[in-house]
Amino acid sequence: MVERLCAPTRGALLARAVAGPRDATCVPAGVRSQLVARLAARLAGDRRRHRVDSFAAELGPARFDAPFAWSARVARRPIGTSVAGLVAAGAMPDALSAAAFEIERLCDRAHRGLLRRGALGAWLDAAPGAVRSLCAVEAATWAERLLRLVEPGPDGAIAVGIPDAWFEVPGTTVTLQGRLDATLRGVDAGSLALLRVRDGVPAASAPDGLVVDALVASLGGQRPTRMVGAWPDAGLCLLVDFDDEAMRQAARLVLTCADAIAASAAPATGVEAIAA
Amino acid sequence: MTSPAPVAPDLLGTLRGTPALRPYVDHGLAGGLRAWLEDGLFERLGPRHAPIVRLTPRLLATTPAVAPTAARLRGAMLVQLLKLRVGGHASSAPFDDAALVLGASGRDDDLVAALGDLDADERARLVAEVHAHHEVLAATLPSLPARWSPRCAVRYAIPLAGGAVLLRGDVDLALGASGGSRACVCLVDLTTSPLSSSTDATLAYLALLETLRAGEQPLRVAALSTADGASMVREVTAELLADAVELVFDAVERATPE
Repeated sequence: MVERLCAPTRGALLARAVAGPRDATCVPAGVRSQLVARLAARLAGDRRRHRVDSFAAELGPARFDAPFAWSARVARRPIGTSVAGLVAAGAMPDALSAAAFEIERLCDRAHRGLLRRGALGAWLDAAPGAVRSLCAVEAATWAERLLRLVEPGPDGAIAVGIPDAWFEVPGTTVTLQGRLDATLRGVDAGSLALLRVRDGVPAASAPDGLVVDALVASLGGQRPTRMVGAWPDAGLCLLVDFDDEAMRQAARLVLTCADAIAASAAPATGVEAIAA
Repeated sequence: MTSPAPVAPDLLGTLRGTPALRPYVDHGLAGGLRAWLEDGLFERLGPRHAPIVRLTPRLLATTPAVAPTAARLRGAMLVQLLKLRVGGHASSAPFDDAALVLGASGRDDDLVAALGDLDADERARLVAEVHAHHEVLAATLPSLPARWSPRCAVRYAIPLAGGAVLLRGDVDLALGASGGSRACVCLVDLTTSPLSSSTDATLAYLALLETLRAGEQPLRVAALSTADGASMVREVTAELLADAVELVFDAVERATPE
């Protein structure tokens, strides 16, 4: 079931987010082992590293064939996540100060050789001051957007600045990533909703991406009852129940994505081979 | 529409106003406007869902003008310089800094390419323009305290009529936090062109988008021209938002001729 909320207040969003199924769905060992086995069967021979996430599940992996490069747009979420956490914890008075602090911290770690090559901190450390300043503003804007939506209160029901969920598929070079930006808990300890923020407007396939995020979080040990997708540009939130049916749907989407990756890795044949 | 407020010598002071005099948030307003829009769009479009009508502030004008690439480039660079001001970066070489951050922004790839394609004359002219506009920007927005929660390049994409209409827009600078009992969010639209008769409509439209997106109306909305330093500040009232709804209906009718 997909529920749609327009410009919800913090209270309304929290109330609906934790109003999902009472019992959390944990991925049964059988489903988990089947998923791993099928992913391994599809991609065992592929030595390239692949990441499957909700974007890939919604849009197909081909969209992300371009080589990765850091930019202020890409950097705003990882920095903004830390910024939101710092502001919510009261460690920093405002998002801009927190962003400047976080960038300084990352640069310091890179300077001391604590980060691998290509890491965000390494890119920031090598970037001119103007670019670091731009990244701070973009990250602060991103964090403010999240905090306006789900500002943590004294009730402890909402947590921001949380890490994404990751699942390394054994025997393959595939990593599943579930994008998470906040957790929302009900008074009842069994109710846990995970929230993820996106730009723009939800596409028709948006619920597919949400269940994939929930599946990866579930494989990583969390037990969400609902997944919330927030599109602050549109003032919209979509909420999907994460039940058995949704879990199996998410597993099918991941396998479809793996099929597409395997197909893209196949050597050129037929017309393509002749053209080459 | 009512006449705009006079040009403000202290834009930020005018935007903030007196906190105790700010109006209370009308929590029913956003829902009412959305329902009005949905009903009006159904009357005009019927149940059809394709093609999608995308509205932007530019399309609100009766005869939309397309800005040349040089003007778009100048505008994009000034927006980057505004971000640097918000971030507290003192820019001694505005053009170089703007070009650098435009390239590192991860957006506007077409403009980054266009910047690289400029010949020496075009580039020299753009350098002079960016410097002049930056001086005006620095004089008008001298400093922005972080406690005002400044946000840059806030984007809007409000789907209506089941996705058949998409209201798009972006605000270069937003100040103040929503969620309180009184309206306190201020929006600033930066332009490198002189303010014109269409500015008023743009401001009303942006106020409508913010109201629909956040669920509460902003306090004030302003336009700042770095061409001459002129600014226009509008109080956001129910009447202003109603004007914006009518503008949307007019633009949708023009965009979907029968």
